[in-house]
Formats: sequence, C-alpha cells, structure tokens
Amino acid sequence: MWADSASLRLSWRLFRHEARRGELTVILLAIVLSVAAVLSLSLFSERLQTALTDKTAEFLAADRLLGSDQPVPEQWLEQAKALGLDVAKRVQLRSMVFAGEQMMLADVRAVDGHYPLKGKVKVAEVPFGPARETDALPGLGEVWMESRLFQVLGASLGGQLEVGDASFTISGIISELPDGGFSVFGGDPKVLLNLQDLDKTHVTGPGSRTDYDILFAGPDGVLEDYHQWLEPRLDRELHYWRSVKDDDSPLGRSVQRAEQYFLLASLLAIVLASVSIAVAAQRYSHRHYDPVAIMKTLGAPASLVRRIYLLQILFITGLGILVGALVGYGVQQVIASLIAERVPVALDAWHWRPFLIAVFTGLVCALLFSLYPLMKLFSVPPLRVLRRDLGAGISSRIIQFLAAGVAIFLLMWAYSGNLKISAILLGTGLVLVLALLLVTFGLIALGRRLGQGRMGAWQLAWARIQRRAMDNSVQLISFAITIMLLLVVLVMRNDMVQQWRDQLPQGTPNYFMINITEQQLPELERHFGQAGVQMDTFYPVIRGRFAAINEETIRTDVSKEEDSNNRGRQGLGREANLTWSDRLQTENRVVAGSWHGDSQGEIPRVSVETEVAQRLDIKLGDLLTFNVGSEVVQAEVTSLREVNWQTMQPNFFFVLEPAAMQGFSPTYITSFHLPGQDKAKLAGLMAPFPTVTLFDVDARINQLRSVIEQVSLAVEFILVLVLCAGSLVLVAQVQSSMDERLQELAILRTLGARGWLIRASVIFEFLIIGLVAGAMAALANELALYLLQTRVFDMQARLHWDFWLLAPLVGALVVGLLGALSCWRLLSFNTSQLLRRML
Amino acid sequence: MNLTPTMIKTQAITKIVTTSEGELQILQPISFDVKAAESVAIVGASGSGKSTLLGLLAGLDEVSSGEIYVDGQPLHKLDEEQRARLRGEKVGFIFQSFMLVQSLTALENIMLPAEINGLKDARKRALEALEQVGLGHRGNHYPNQLSGGEQQRVAIARAFITRPKILFADEPTGNLDAANGEKIENLLFRFNRELGTTLILVTHDSELASRCQRQLQMHAGSLTETSQPTEQPEAKRHVG
Ligand SMILES: Nc1ncnc2c1ncn2[C@@H]1O[C@H](COP(=O)(O)OP(=O)(O)OP(=O)(O)O)[C@@H](O)[C@H]1O
Ligand SMILES: [Mg+2]
Repeated sequence: MWADSASLRLSWRLFRHEARRGELTVILLAIVLSVAAVLSLSLFSERLQTALTDKTAEFLAADRLLGSDQPVPEQWLEQAKALGLDVAKRVQLRSMVFAGEQMMLADVRAVDGHYPLKGKVKVAEVPFGPARETDALPGLGEVWMESRLFQVLGASLGGQLEVGDASFTISGIISELPDGGFSVFGGDPKVLLNLQDLDKTHVTGPGSRTDYDILFAGPDGVLEDYHQWLEPRLDRELHYWRSVKDDDSPLGRSVQRAEQYFLLASLLAIVLASVSIAVAAQRYSHRHYDPVAIMKTLGAPASLVRRIYLLQILFITGLGILVGALVGYGVQQVIASLIAERVPVALDAWHWRPFLIAVFTGLVCALLFSLYPLMKLFSVPPLRVLRRDLGAGISSRIIQFLAAGVAIFLLMWAYSGNLKISAILLGTGLVLVLALLLVTFGLIALGRRLGQGRMGAWQLAWARIQRRAMDNSVQLISFAITIMLLLVVLVMRNDMVQQWRDQLPQGTPNYFMINITEQQLPELERHFGQAGVQMDTFYPVIRGRFAAINEETIRTDVSKEEDSNNRGRQGLGREANLTWSDRLQTENRVVAGSWHGDSQGEIPRVSVETEVAQRLDIKLGDLLTFNVGSEVVQAEVTSLREVNWQTMQPNFFFVLEPAAMQGFSPTYITSFHLPGQDKAKLAGLMAPFPTVTLFDVDARINQLRSVIEQVSLAVEFILVLVLCAGSLVLVAQVQSSMDERLQELAILRTLGARGWLIRASVIFEFLIIGLVAGAMAALANELALYLLQTRVFDMQARLHWDFWLLAPLVGALVVGLLGALSCWRLLSFNTSQLLRRML
Repeated sequence: MNLTPTMIKTQAITKIVTTSEGELQILQPISFDVKAAESVAIVGASGSGKSTLLGLLAGLDEVSSGEIYVDGQPLHKLDEEQRARLRGEKVGFIFQSFMLVQSLTALENIMLPAEINGLKDARKRALEALEQVGLGHRGNHYPNQLSGGEQQRVAIARAFITRPKILFADEPTGNLDAANGEKIENLLFRFNRELGTTLILVTHDSELASRCQRQLQMHAGSLTETSQPTEQPEAKRHVG
C-alpha cells in the first residue's frame, strides 16, 4: 500500500499538531482563499449570468430561435415538444396596411398563443401613453399596432385595419414587444395579429420575404440536445439558428463585456491564489528542512519522507478545499442575497461547475505550487543536523519561475478556454517579472550609495534589502503582481462602467422624429422651443437606392440580416438613408482616408461606415452610385468611418459632402429628450405636424439603462471580492516575509537595538518594497489594460495617469502598514520568546 | 580485550570538498578502530574537522576515499538509502542544538525513530525511555515548552529507544550549563555501561572528554590519538 500505516500515522500526527499550533495557518489560508475566491466569483458570476441571460433572452422573446424563409416541418416542432421545450411560432413580413384612405408599410407579425416565451408584451391605453405589461394577445379578427401607426394612419381603437385581403378590428396599442429590437428608425411600425388569421390575408405569397420563426425556451442542455438533433436537418440557405449569445445589440455587447470581466476577475483570483499558495508553500517547505533532516538521520528512507509530506499536503489541501468551499459559498450567498433586490441573481439556481472548478483549482494550485518547494524539501541532506547552514540539495529559481508561469497559464487557459486573455495576462506578468528583476538590482546598487554612513533605521532597511536581494526580488514580484492584478480589475471596471454610462448619459434623446420637411423645420423648432423642449441636431436625409460600385450594379436584395432588428441601428435595406455634412459626427472616427470637410472637389465625396464597407467590399477610391428618385448621384469613397453604434444618436452608413446633394430637398431627422413626467405633453407637441413621424425609444432606453446599472453593480461586487482576495494575499505575503526576518530581528534585539529602530527599519523596508511594487504594477497594469481593452474588450484604451501616482503611494502605504502591524506583533515578544520561536 | 569485537573500523578515510576557490581537503587520511562498548571523545580546536569526521562515521556524509566499516558493514559502499537503514538500525544521535521536531510532543519525538524503523511497541518503549530520563510527566509538552537540559534529555531518550549499537554525540553539552551538562553526561555514560552502547562524542569540554576511555585529538584535519584505552574510566575520573 502506497500510504502505509507508518507514513499515514506520522503524517497525520504532524498535521494535527501543526494545525493546532497554528503553523499551517498561512498555507491553509492561502488554499482556503483560492478556493473561496474562485468559488464565490464563479458561482456568483454564473448566477448573475443565468439571470442576465434570462434577461437578454427576453429580447429574443425566447432562448433560441430558428429562422426560416419557409414554414418549417411540423415534425421539428414535435421533436422539440417531445424533448420538453416550449415552442412558439412567429411569422413576420413587411406589408402595406390600410386604414381608410391612409396606408403605411408595416412590420406585420403573426404569432400563436405561446408567444412570447420570454419577456412580456407591453400595451398602452392611448397612443404614446404609459405602458403596462399584459399576458393577452390579439384575438381572432383583431390587430394590435404601435402608436406610430395610429399617428400616421389617423386610426383609433375600435377602427378597422386592412392587412392584405383581410380586415381587422384595431383592439390594442403596442407599446413594446420584447423582441422589438433596438432599431430606432430602421424598422417599420409593428402590427401584431393572431397566427390563425394570417392565411386569410394572403400576404405570404412568393416574393413576400416572409420569415417563419420558431421560438424555443427551456434548459440549456435540452436546447443543445435539440440543436444537435436539428443541425443536420437544416439547410444553410434557408435556416439559421440563433441564441441570445449571438446578440450583437448594445445590450448584448454590454452583457458580453460583463461576462468577460467576470472571467477576467476569476482568472485574476486564480493567479492571486496561486501566488499566495506559492509563497506559503515556500515558507512551509523552509520550516520543514529540519524535521526532514532529522527523520533522514534517524533512518527514514527517502520514500517514507516523500510519503509523509505528500500525505501532509493532501491533508492540508483537503481541509483547505473544504473550508474554502464553505467560506466561498457563504460569502457568495451573503452577497447575492444582499443585492438580490437590485441585481438579478438566480438565487435558487444550483451550479456544479463552479464547485468543480474551485476544487480543481485548489487541488492544482496546492499540488503544482507546492511541487517545487516539496522537491527542495525532499532533497534536504541528513547532514544538515550537523552542518546547520546546509539547505536543500537543489535550487533553481529559473525552474521555479518557469514551472509557476506554465502552471498559471495552463490553469487560466483550462478555466477560461480563452487563449487570448490568458496569453495577455501571462505575457504582461513576464514583462513585469523581468522589469522587476532589473529594477531590484538597480535599486540595490543605488541603495548601496544611499545607505552608506551611520546605522540609522533607513540604512538598516537598505542593508537588509541588499543582503537579501534575491529573496526581496521574489517578494517584490509577488507584491507587484498582486497590486497589478488589483489595478487591472479596478481600472477595467472603472473604464467599463464609465463607457456604459457615457453611452446613455442623462438627457439621452428618447424620442426621434423623421419626415420633417424643410418648410416645417423652423416652425417645429419654435413650437418645441416654446414648450421648453430642446431639439438636437437636424440631419438632412434622402432615401436613395444604392445601385452600383464602380459602375458595377449590385444586387439590390442584400442578405436578409439587414432587415432584422438585431444589427445596431438602421439596416441598409433596399434603400439607404443618405445624409450630408461637412462636420464629422461625434462618436464617429475616420479609420481610413480623410474626412471630406467642405472643400469642393470635382467628384463628390462620400464617407462610408466601416462595417458596411467590409460587408459590401467597398474600398477607398471606389465610385458609388445612388439612385435618388430619378436622379443619379455618384460619389467617390474618400474615408471610412468607425461608428459607435452603442450611442443613442442617428448614425448613417453614407455621409456625403454637402455639395453633392444640392438641389435635392431632403427631409430631416432629429431627436430630443423628454423627461418621463412630460409624456403627456407629447400629443400637443406633435399635433401641428401630422406628417412628422415620432419614434418613442424611451422604454428601450430605460430597459437598457436598468440592465446596464445592474450589470455595473454586479461588476462592482466582483471588484470588491477580488480586492478582498488581493488584500488577504498581501497579508499572507507580509506575514511570510516577516517570518524570514524573525531571526534577524531576534539578533538585532539581542544585540541591544532599540525597539523603535528595528520597527522603523522594518517599516521603511516595507515602504520601499511597496513603493517600488506599486510603481511597477502601475506600469504593467497599463500594458495589460492596453492589450485587454483593445484585443479582448473591444474598447478604446487610454492611459491612466492618476494610477501612476496612486499605485506607488497606496502600495507603499498598504504594504508598509501591513509590515508595521506584523512587526508590532513580533516586537511585542521579548528576546527569549523570539529566539524560541526561531527554533 | 582481544575478544571484544570491533564496532568501527576506518582505513585512510579522507574528505575533500569543492569550494569556490577550488578543492579543499578538510580531512587528511585517518585510520583508527573503535571497539564495541568503548567510549571515545573526539577533541580539537574549532574547525579542525571533528564534526566532519563524526558525520562520516555516522554515515551522514560520504567519504572521498578510504574505507569505513560499521559493525562489519562497508559504509563507504552503501548509498544514501542503505546508509539510512543502517542508521536506523544501529545508530543513535545527540546534537548540540537538540534537533527535536518542534511540532511533535516530547513523547512523539521519542517514538519517531521507533516508528520510522517499524518497531512494534513504540509508545510503550517511549514512555519507558521518558521515565528513564526523568521526564515521565512532560511527555505531552512541545520542545519549546521544555528547557534546554530537558530537551537534551528527550533527545537522549530518543537516541536510545531503538537500542542502537553506537551513539554519536556532537557537543551534547555545548548549549547547557554545568549542572544540566552533568546530568546529560551521566545519562550517556549510564546507557554506555548498561546497554553496552559504543559512545563517540565530539566535545570541547575536557572534563567530559576525560570521562571517555579514549580521546582522539584532531588537528587541522589530522588525527593524533592522545590517550590509550583505559579499562576503568569511572575510576580514573574519581582518581583525577
Ligand atoms: N562542505 C564544506 N565546504 C567547505 N568547507 C567545509 C565544508 N565542510 C566543512 N568545511 C570546513 O572544514 C573545516 C572543519 O569543519 P568541522 O565542522 O568539521 O569543524 P569542527 O571541528 O567541528 O569545528 P567546531 O568545533 O567549531 O564545530 C571547517 O574549516 C569548515 O569550514
Ligand atoms: Mg563541529
């Protein structure tokens, strides 16, 4: 048997005594910390994600969606139901609708009684009125429609609406559909009717571009199973499968970013844990040099020693994992229930994955990071009993660093499955380590100069730093890495939350108006001004058909995604909104070519949004042809613009120079902000302008804002968790380095050094270490953030000067303070106690 | 006297170490024999190589050349594992700094060699040994709760629990005051007498050295034997 009774007994005995005497506290704490941090972080984020995914699922009105150009076989639906999934049908098409003399192109949606599977339909009592949720749907022979249609068609509740060959009673006002999309004015106003009424309209004939969507909801695993079953039956040309994860709306992106942040935070927690375990294991190994030498001297074969200590590590790890899991679960539970009211956490959801991850992390961390210290420990020669200065038989910091780096990387990779994030973190870590090694030796050389002269506290501190250059550099590295990781999490959170807030500042326009004629414009501005409503910029718009690139005619029937509401804002569709301006819009950035300004060239110039350019393969210098009415406008592409689709402002794919569009009479688009309590004014405001179309995005904005706020709050809690973990790691580090100083302190004490001198010198030493670590951390932080933000988070990176000052200061302060505290504890012992503790 | 078996036999053993300044011979060729139940003191100036010699004899270190036989076994031919077994079976140790395992109690420290070497009644033996060194009531105390003299007594109990044929002691009284040192010495010689344990100790204390039957004088890595074996060490002491 591998663990024979002798090794088991000895190991257990050592473990029991050491645990009781508090000798294992540090290493145990490190393991507890790693397990607790990883567990609470990943459990919390898993719960949060479940809740957020549920929330985002509402925007799809389902968990998954099967889109099709033709009705899908009933058998597919039967299969889904057989698996226990909820299924709903939705048929969607664009059609003219008529009310009396008036007509308008509408987004007609016919749904069955199960719709929506996620989220709620909201209705209003009067057009543009306050919304309330409902579980009802239009009955047979009825339609519900959006406020805008009432306005344009001059219709009212109880009136008739004709859709195709059928006539319906208007029985409801749609304020919001969960799957309404974030489209501000790309989409046509929606009409909702009962699926059973669809056939009699006869609008779904060939060429009608009808979408037959099937909505699914159910547990993730079942959905995946179903998708597996379905996949081979799908026809790429006809069908597509979509989940909330594919959500590319501003909201979807925010949630994705938050998820990446959680992942990052958990990864950092793992690294922090690894660092603290490595530190603690080192100390543990060091303390056991003597017992190993003694046991070997007393005749213990190497195998026995190995078994004793491997068992010992297993005991410690086991206990650490157990306690860590309890603590982690408790912490997470407390936080989750504290914030359950403000943040959507699925409190009742039970997730095995975080537990597995946490246990796995604890195990891997404890075993991998104690491996090298243990190898050193095993190599301690028995002769140490005679020659006290003999240490371990092997020693290679390179191997140690290498092993640690590889282990951390593998752990991160295995956990995240994200090579990029892992590589970035590891890479910056390595740069940091190298830089720190250089700096330490530089500082030590410098200190030698400064430290000359009388033996004050300062000189004593420098002397100590020098003497233990290598130990100190290891310490410095672990402090700096800890501080850096904390900075990354902190600054990342700041930047992210800031960007979210910027996206929807107070006063974000919540109404858009289109179809404002040139003649109406001054009157409209005056009328609204009198009511105290400030209008934003007016953008001239002309509908034009995008006809050709370099005289080469393009298909007008662009791929179907354009029509879906999922894509940022305005779809290209069959007609594009052309605008012109000599000024670049805010949140637009020229990435190729140069902005045309107002100088007039021979051929008119146009700026194209990058994603459209990419999709339609438009390059700088291409000649674009638009048909505007019967006229032809040609313009050369002179710049490509990146557009921030996450802002609530009108954005355009094509912006021409003003000269090109002279002679056309455009309509105007504008937006304004109306506080919620002024909603009632709206009818009066719009009354004189019946032809102007109003879009109400207030509900959308509020929705977006509440989700963003919740996500921000969640991110904040994650931050607090990581900060706690980090601080504990710092404490562990100071404590273990304090142990190493014990002997020196005892000697100084014995030699009669005054308490204050020792204390001051130790505090100086920690101050210096904290300062340097903080400074280096700020540097490395900048590098890590730059890479993370540009490569992973899809954000604009910037420098964070404030932290260049803050990090060294806080580093010095915190590390110095911790040093002072533990130094106080040590110095409260008298000399003989100190000497005794050393043995 | 010729009937007494030889316990340790050395043949021109040397020790050479490599330092940053090249090779350094810290032991010149040394040859001597020690008989069973003999007590031998190794004395000499600091740095003369006493501890080095002791380490070689005890199998804690390897000779650079020469031969060592301990109880008939060729120590110089054994690897570390085999030497460990030999140490466990035949050798006991006492050190200047006691070398107790700090996180085990006095009793458990004493049990340690018995358990390592797979002896059955470790606890019973340990309790007896503890009683014999006069610490029966302190078994559950940790080393740092004991005085230096008490710790050394625990170390002696630990050394004798396996009834070793040879006991090595490196400055066993070096860290103790005269009274405690005396107690330790008495214990050592009592075991030497009662159990027939061969006693090899390194000491700076000339009085302790003189209680041994033989004294080996070390000088700069070389051995010069000063006193011839004496039949009555105790008598001699009282006479002196
Ligand atoms: N591995 C080694 N490398 C270099 N020098 C060594 C080594 N081992 C021993 N020495 C040197 O050999 C000499 C003898 O050492 P040893 O410890 O045996 O002396 P000692 O007689 O026991 O001294 P003390 O009475 O002070 O304990 C010393 O000068 C020591 O520095
Ligand atoms: Mg010595």
